[in-house]
Amino acid sequence: MPRIKIDHTKCTGCRHCETACSLNHVANTVNPRRSRVRVMRDGNRYYPVIAGPFVDAACTSKHYIVIGEQTYDMCAFCRASCPEKPYFIEAETGIPLKCDFCGIPPSPSCVRWCNSGALELVED
Amino acid sequence: MNGWIGRCLRINLTQGKHHIEEIDPKLLEKFLGGRGLGVKAFVDEVAPQVDPFSPENKLVFTSGPLVGTGAITGASCNVITKSALTGGLVCAKMRGHFGAELKFAGFDMLIIEGKAEIPVIISILDDKVKLIPALEYWGRTTVETEELFKKNLGDPWSARETYVASIGPAGERLLPLANLVNDRFLPVGGAGIGAVMGSKNLKAIAVRGRHSLQVADGNRFMQVVTTLINKLNSAPLTQSMSQTGTAFLVGLCYQKGILPQNNFRRAPLPLRNIGTEALNSGFALRSRGCFACPIACIKKADVKHPAYEGKGMAPTYLAIGSLGVNCGITDLATIGMASMMCGEMGLDPVAAGGALATIMELVEKKVITPEELKIDLRFGNGEAMVEALRLMATKKGYARRLGQGGQALAEEFGRPEIFMGVKNLPLAPFDPRAIQGMGLHFATCNYGPHHLYAYTFIDELLNVHENLEPTELEGKPLLVKRYQDTTAVMDSLGLCNWPLMGLKFNNYVPMVNSCLGTSYKADDLLFIGERIWNLEKGFNMRAGFDASHDTLPDRFTKEPIPDGPAEGQISRIEEMIPEYYHLRGWNEQGEPLPETLRAFDLEVG
Repeated sequence: MPRIKIDHTKCTGCRHCETACSLNHVANTVNPRRSRVRVMRDGNRYYPVIAGPFVDAACTSKHYIVIGEQTYDMCAFCRASCPEKPYFIEAETGIPLKCDFCGIPPSPSCVRWCNSGALELVED
Repeated sequence: MNGWIGRCLRINLTQGKHHIEEIDPKLLEKFLGGRGLGVKAFVDEVAPQVDPFSPENKLVFTSGPLVGTGAITGASCNVITKSALTGGLVCAKMRGHFGAELKFAGFDMLIIEGKAEIPVIISILDDKVKLIPALEYWGRTTVETEELFKKNLGDPWSARETYVASIGPAGERLLPLANLVNDRFLPVGGAGIGAVMGSKNLKAIAVRGRHSLQVADGNRFMQVVTTLINKLNSAPLTQSMSQTGTAFLVGLCYQKGILPQNNFRRAPLPLRNIGTEALNSGFALRSRGCFACPIACIKKADVKHPAYEGKGMAPTYLAIGSLGVNCGITDLATIGMASMMCGEMGLDPVAAGGALATIMELVEKKVITPEELKIDLRFGNGEAMVEALRLMATKKGYARRLGQGGQALAEEFGRPEIFMGVKNLPLAPFDPRAIQGMGLHFATCNYGPHHLYAYTFIDELLNVHENLEPTELEGKPLLVKRYQDTTAVMDSLGLCNWPLMGLKFNNYVPMVNSCLGTSYKADDLLFIGERIWNLEKGFNMRAGFDASHDTLPDRFTKEPIPDGPAEGQISRIEEMIPEYYHLRGWNEQGEPLPETLRAFDLEVG
């Protein structure tokens, strides 16, 4: 099954993936807020997050993540298009967004435009 | 509209009011946007004689049509105003995400006029334009301002999408050397802007937007961009840039004798501890990219280096040259500290480095003693330099004199020949004697001697598109003119110029056309670039610059380089300037001829 592997240590925070995604999903339109991949930022680090479905199970099993010396709230990197945060929801319609790997066979546009190696399409 | 939005936000700080204007599509066609549009708006609205600190001076922020569309390196926002340092136009290139966010907020251009009564912050968040009193921010460093503003927003989600450009203590104290800082990057070439913002009592600008940008032909655009990314990946120089940032130039410039030491008086000794290897071994580098940049040349030193504590930026070529070697300092950690100090205080590294090199030479020539200065500024004393930068920005002690800039200092002590600069701005760290084309550009540039308005070293030094010798004169005037025009048009489109090391200008044309729905050819775009250059020249002439300002300090034209690989070279700009003026369609005094102005459809007179 193809997956998009995220290596946050390589992300430069350029947000080229966001523009690629919105261009590919909304005809001739660029808007990071309509993108299904967002680059979250914490201090010096960047974390690309790819939109997924919102299920209660994700919240009930919520815990804290330790990276390096810092502890992070899991919400900060959660991929769910949940009502608690403004990400991954079409502002005008309220429709939740979810990554579809840009069709079949998967050729995600974000991976095509990501030059830092932070996003990679892998089979497993 | 495709690419463009066609709206301009005008904020009057005196009245505390704002309104939105439509931009005439004819102007966009004629000047593209970005730098071109901004300069046009500024030239039309502001009298050339206006005092930079008066409320009549305006600040123009413009993002080009390709900014934010996903066009590669489409991130640059130009800031145009009348400079407090040079007295002419200044156009800083703001990197990072501010420019793109301004487009997403729904504006091509932001014009700020008047003067606020108390310090304010302009906040343009999701279509709400507000002036926020900024008394609690006044006096804080740029990093603190940004953090506090985001904290005060109260919502961590929206804070992450907000981008802030602010001035530091240097700008608040109206130092001509002050710059502004956005997203913790210093905009390049911004000396003189910080003080103008300070004089308007404007501490910061914050933007966040949710609008969409339209692209003419999305599928074709995506293909072209993918091709360009692959092209960049196969270019060796952009690869070095990805790995070490602009610092990779240090070694190359050193080999050709272009890197100056001790206020342009000699070539540096062998640099063991300052090149890319030292950078790689001393710092764990982590790349940061501006919006939609596949290169990501900005390097964070994300390590526990004793001097950095994990927050510093790795030094760039500009910092290593201006704040480092040219001040006799060859320790990367100190240079990094100085560069970080500049960022926090909001000082321009080139202008501040030039002022420091001037005072160091004055000390060496015993015109002024370290006792008088109360700070031991000598060539090579890094600690004193970092301290001087802090004191300069906070205007404390004797160091406050330094903040007036190198020219003012050198004149104060009756030794104006010691200041190595043109039009009041110190030279970027390229010795014009060893690289003749850059020397010609330094002398003739509208904005002062900064390499970022003509990247001639791409051909002269790196030989990417043409094989030219740095010390020869053959073909240099044409090269300089071509790069000046190319840069003007790239800035107007909103593109960064560094990828020219891997791409030809022609490679960009399909990207521009598929994004904007136009049918430009490369020459059409360069024609617009030349029009912009002439427009800027006209304003500067009315502001008081003439052919006597198109020159270099005597050190470059009279004293040969004493040692190093380019030993014995002098700058021969006098031989090149007549040909340059001729190519530009200017007369011998460097004034555009009426027929030249008519050809570019500019106002004559």
